[in-house]
Amino acid sequence: MTSKKHLQIAYSMTAILLIIGLFSYAAFSAKKPDQPVRIMYKGVAGSVLFDHKTHSADMGYGLSCNDCHHHPPGQDSDFLACSACHKAEGDTAKPESCTDCHDPADYEDYEMMTKTNAFHAQCIECHQQIGAGPVECAACHAAN
Amino acid sequence: MVDQKKLIVSPAPFWHDGSSIPVRQVHTIAAAIPAVLFGVFLYGLPALGVVCLSVSTAMLWELAANRMTGRAYSIGDGNAALIGLLLAMLMPATVPWWAVIIGTCVALFVGKHIYGGIGGNPFNPALIGYAIIMVSWKGLFDFNAALVNYDFGFNMIYPLAAVKQHGAAAAANYPLCSLLLGMQTGGIGATFGLGLILGGLYLIVRGFIRWEISISFLAGVFITALLFNIANPVKFADPFFHLLTGYTLIGAFFLATDDSSSPVNLIPMLLYGAGAGVMTMLIRNIGAYVDGVVFAVLLFNIANPLLDKIRPKALGKVIDHA
Repeated sequence: MTSKKHLQIAYSMTAILLIIGLFSYAAFSAKKPDQPVRIMYKGVAGSVLFDHKTHSADMGYGLSCNDCHHHPPGQDSDFLACSACHKAEGDTAKPESCTDCHDPADYEDYEMMTKTNAFHAQCIECHQQIGAGPVECAACHAAN
Repeated sequence: MVDQKKLIVSPAPFWHDGSSIPVRQVHTIAAAIPAVLFGVFLYGLPALGVVCLSVSTAMLWELAANRMTGRAYSIGDGNAALIGLLLAMLMPATVPWWAVIIGTCVALFVGKHIYGGIGGNPFNPALIGYAIIMVSWKGLFDFNAALVNYDFGFNMIYPLAAVKQHGAAAAANYPLCSLLLGMQTGGIGATFGLGLILGGLYLIVRGFIRWEISISFLAGVFITALLFNIANPVKFADPFFHLLTGYTLIGAFFLATDDSSSPVNLIPMLLYGAGAGVMTMLIRNIGAYVDGVVFAVLLFNIANPLLDKIRPKALGKVIDHA
C-alpha cells in the first residue's frame, strides 16, 4: 500500500521515462559507422568475431580495402559484403551481383567459391603468408 | 464518528523505525545509479533508451497486474521500477525494444505477480525476465555480437567469452584496474565495478542488503575460481579476473540479495551466497554458458526455503504433561 503522493510520483516517472525511452529508440536506436568496427560471422562451427577496424586502420594492420574485397576496379559504389557473392554451402543460386558486370550466359557454368571456403582461404592464407594471426579452428571459432 | 486510530491493534514491534518499502527501493535504485550512469555515458542514448523503456514498462506491467488482480496499486512502492532497472542493467545497449518489453512483462508477471506480488516471489523477478529472454532468443545477449559497432579504445571483446574461447592467457589483455573502472564490454549497468562496489557497500552499511550474502557470494566465486586456476592455470583464468567481469559484482550486491528470494538466517545466508558463487564458477568454467551468475542465483533461489530450515533452536523446552 503506497500513499497518494508516491502514486503520483510513480505515474509521472512512468510517463516521462516512457517518452524518453521511446524517443531514444526511435531516434537513436542503431549506431552504424560507415565502416564496420567488428563483424560477427555466425556459423554452425561457431561464431567468429572479426575485427575489421584493426585489419583496415593505419594504426592496425593497415590493409587496403582491395586486399580482401575483390571489388571491380573503377567502380565508385560501396564495397560489397562478402556474402553478396559467396553464398552458403548448398545455395546454388547465382549471386545477383554477378549480373552487374556479366551476362548470365557468361557465368552459367562458373562455380563461385562458397562463403565458408572463401573466408577460410582469405583469412588462413593471409595469416600464413604474413606469419601472424590465428590459423587453428578454435582460435577464431567460438563454441556456440 | 469513531476515531479509527484508537481502535487499531497490531502485533509487535510497536515502534516503527521509519523504514518502508518505497524507502528500501529508492535507496537500492540510488545505489545502482552510478553504474547505470556510467553505462549511459559510455553507450549514449541507446543505453538511456533501454533503461527508460525497461523501468517505465515494468511500472506499466505492475499497474496492469494490479488492475487485473483487483489489488491495491503498488506501482508507487518503487519495486517495479527497481526490477526494470536491474533488468536494463544486465542488457546490452543495443537490445531491441520488443525484448525489453517482453522481458519486463515476464519479470513482473511470471517473476512476481503470479506469486502474489512483492514479498511472495521465490525468484529474483529481474533474473526470471532475463533468463527467459536469454533462452528464448539465443544470441540476443551475446555481447560480442550486440556491440560490434562500438569502439571505445579499450579491449572490446567480452572478457568472459575471451577466456572461455582462448583460455587464461586472454585474461592478460584485461588489466584489473581497467576492469574495475568499467573498461570492458557487458551489460549497461554491469561493467562499472567501482560503482557497483560503492553502491553495494552503501546498501550494506545502511542495512538494506545483508553482507553475509554478498561477501559469501564473492568468496564462493573467488575460492572456486582459485581452485580451477590452481588445477589448470592455462585453461582457467585467475580469481580476481572473475570477480571483476561478467555479472559477478551486480550479482553479489543487487541480484542475490533480493529480499524474498534469499534466506534470512545467518548460516543459510552464508550457504546461499557461497553456493551461488560456486555454481557461478562451475557454469563459467565447465558449463555451456559464458556467464553463470543468472542461473546460479536462480538455482539458489529455489534452494532458499530449504536452506532457511537451518534456524536457531527455539528458547525454552517442551514439558510433557505440564
